[in-house]
Amino acid sequence: MSQPIKCSLCEEAATVHLSQVVHGNVTKVHLCEACAQKGGATDPAVFQLADALTAASPAPTLTCPECGFTDIDFRKRGRLGCPSCWETFADALGGLLSKVQHEASHVGRAPAGTLPAGQLRRRLDAARREMEKAIAGEDYESAARLRDEVAELEKQLTPS
Amino acid sequence: MSVEDILAAENELTHLLGAQQAVVLSTRIRLARNLEGMPFPGWAKVPQRKEISDRCVEALDALPKFRRGHVLRMGELGDRDRAVLVERHLVSKELAAGKSGAAVISRDQTCSVMVNEEDHLRIQVVKAGWHLRGTWHIAEQLDDALGGSLKLAFSDRLGYLTACPTNVGTGLRASAMVHLPGLCLAGHMDKVSRALNQDGLAVRGWLGEGTEAAGNVFQISNQQTLGLSEEAILKHLGGWIKNVVEQEWNARRKLAQEEGEKFVDRLARSLGLLRSARLLTSSEAMNMLSHLRLACDMGCLPEERRHLVDRLMIEGQPAHVQARAGQELDSDGRDRRRAAVVREALKDFPEVVQPTA
Repeated sequence: MSQPIKCSLCEEAATVHLSQVVHGNVTKVHLCEACAQKGGATDPAVFQLADALTAASPAPTLTCPECGFTDIDFRKRGRLGCPSCWETFADALGGLLSKVQHEASHVGRAPAGTLPAGQLRRRLDAARREMEKAIAGEDYESAARLRDEVAELEKQLTPS
Repeated sequence: MSVEDILAAENELTHLLGAQQAVVLSTRIRLARNLEGMPFPGWAKVPQRKEISDRCVEALDALPKFRRGHVLRMGELGDRDRAVLVERHLVSKELAAGKSGAAVISRDQTCSVMVNEEDHLRIQVVKAGWHLRGTWHIAEQLDDALGGSLKLAFSDRLGYLTACPTNVGTGLRASAMVHLPGLCLAGHMDKVSRALNQDGLAVRGWLGEGTEAAGNVFQISNQQTLGLSEEAILKHLGGWIKNVVEQEWNARRKLAQEEGEKFVDRLARSLGLLRSARLLTSSEAMNMLSHLRLACDMGCLPEERRHLVDRLMIEGQPAHVQARAGQELDSDGRDRRRAAVVREALKDFPEVVQPTA
């Protein structure tokens, strides 16, 4: 009898078999039931994860100069080593971010007094868009709050 | 200040009366923050984690919000005390499992900051009932105050930098703890859960990630933290919670109307069982207490008794039962003790009557 196919993520026997075809390239992933449920068998990130884990690259290709964290560590842990890792692994993280977060740039608040002009402008654009949406949806309470936010941001962007 | 003081003190979640607490038990805001130039806790060496902890605790301790509060270092607490904190949602299981974590908790227990969890700082604010704006404003103020004394890791493009890519940007997780017996009894919960998932919201059980929904209590929270402003995240969650609360009330009214006597019978049986059981498991207690909470919301029991039901849901958990008994108990011992506590609390409860809501 032939050996049962092992799960790509652990050593259990695989019972879920996925094939993904992208531009004619076929990628196959075999998972045990537990890993399939945990990862969500329909999640495209499972392929990425399996790729990362099965890729035969024992030597790290990128190391964070600040904390010594490597791309291999990230594959193992799914967490980064230090704030500077975000810069070190920026390219690799870009693709992952668009998958898990849908958007790749921040439009929220910043530590008091550190908001740079680019960030201010993006927030202003976002606040204006949200205000228009609120007005269109006749949600005047939110619209009023956003109008104040827009005014405040405009003031901050005008050099005094 | 110790875990014992936390247990003894009255707080919003166990003692507050108010009509706004039907369906939504509590509102929670969590902000993930990190110090600039320090490795994240999962990658930091022991002396670095110590330095992170010292710097964060010192900054937190100086804030007016934490005056006369609690500073609890996980390495100094026993297993039971740490389990009590987890059951109260003051710290996560992950923080409680490690030795280098600490929690700084405000005197009224509405604010708790975890230090050296997955990130250096996890600011949490919890209010009883549905108060999204109020809860957010407290968190925002705490964040500003901390940003004033600590240099936080922030990038213009990616916002607040976190250990995990699922938190980067705002670092904001806003959630509501909701009690949905109507939707569960009507068999609609799977459908509601799917709809929430599809629109970017996560639905979890009573104790967060990976736990089951004991007592028909669910935690609903945003997933996306990058590319949306805090305002947009709160609005999105708020809209859905309003919708879920409406659906829950519709399901309850429909059940009460269609089932008639059977509906009241179910609630009355739960009260009868809780009042006479000699052994009560944790999940059995939660499910029966869920019926009592429903009865209070629907006018089948006086509304002013609801906070007592909420308190039993919290204090009926295993570590709480043992803390109250002042000793370690085996599973049977806990079930016996839990049953005694519940019997005592419900002994002067009135009978269940026809719904008025």
